[in-house]
Amino acid sequence: MSVETRKAALRFLFAPIVDRLGYKFTPNEEDADFLLEQEAALEAETGIPYCPCQARAGERSEDMRMVCPCIPFHRSHYDAMRRCWCGLFVHKDVTDPDRLRQIPESKFKAGN
Amino acid sequence: MYAKAIETKELAPGGMKAVALRGVEAVICEYAGRYYAVSRACGHAAARLERGALTGWILTCPLHFAQFDVRTGEALSGPAPKAPETAHRDPRDPSLSTRGLKTWPAKAEDGWIWIDIP
Repeated sequence: MSVETRKAALRFLFAPIVDRLGYKFTPNEEDADFLLEQEAALEAETGIPYCPCQARAGERSEDMRMVCPCIPFHRSHYDAMRRCWCGLFVHKDVTDPDRLRQIPESKFKAGN
Repeated sequence: MYAKAIETKELAPGGMKAVALRGVEAVICEYAGRYYAVSRACGHAAARLERGALTGWILTCPLHFAQFDVRTGEALSGPAPKAPETAHRDPRDPSLSTRGLKTWPAKAEDGWIWIDIP
């Protein structure tokens, strides 16, 4: 098992899933590579490719909401940001992901 | 030396099938018009891999969901962690390592799939 082959496998497995959700991998290749590397490391440690940018609660039902790609569990929130929380995926029409900003979930919920 | 395994029509695109040839148990996989032969037993706990799922070039074990690259036999990930409240042994027990799969060259010729088994 190597990190590089696992990253390639995660890309292969995730691409058709996020495509159907209206998302794509971020065009910022450096970011995508780094985030996939973190996911591969988390998966090697825990057996599950958790989002590298969200803290696990230690409660299974909550933690399952941050298994990558976690878009379906946060759909309206991510659609408002046009990216997922860590930025591995962006809306298909996004060409410059650096212009997108994270909106904390609490702030997003307060605004709705 | 190549041995005749199965007819090409027995394998749907993206499908896989177990065969036993010359004392070897293998799974033949089809991906993008090419055929790959890997050992039938999972490199983790020897589950029968043809009962798993083939997603492109990624073969997922039906028992604990370890994944393998059928093109190279390389293990891509170990097993999933233990399910909550199960009495079974944790599949991620460090004593259960996940080995890569043995591979054999495979080719299609005259309507048959052939595997090179020494």
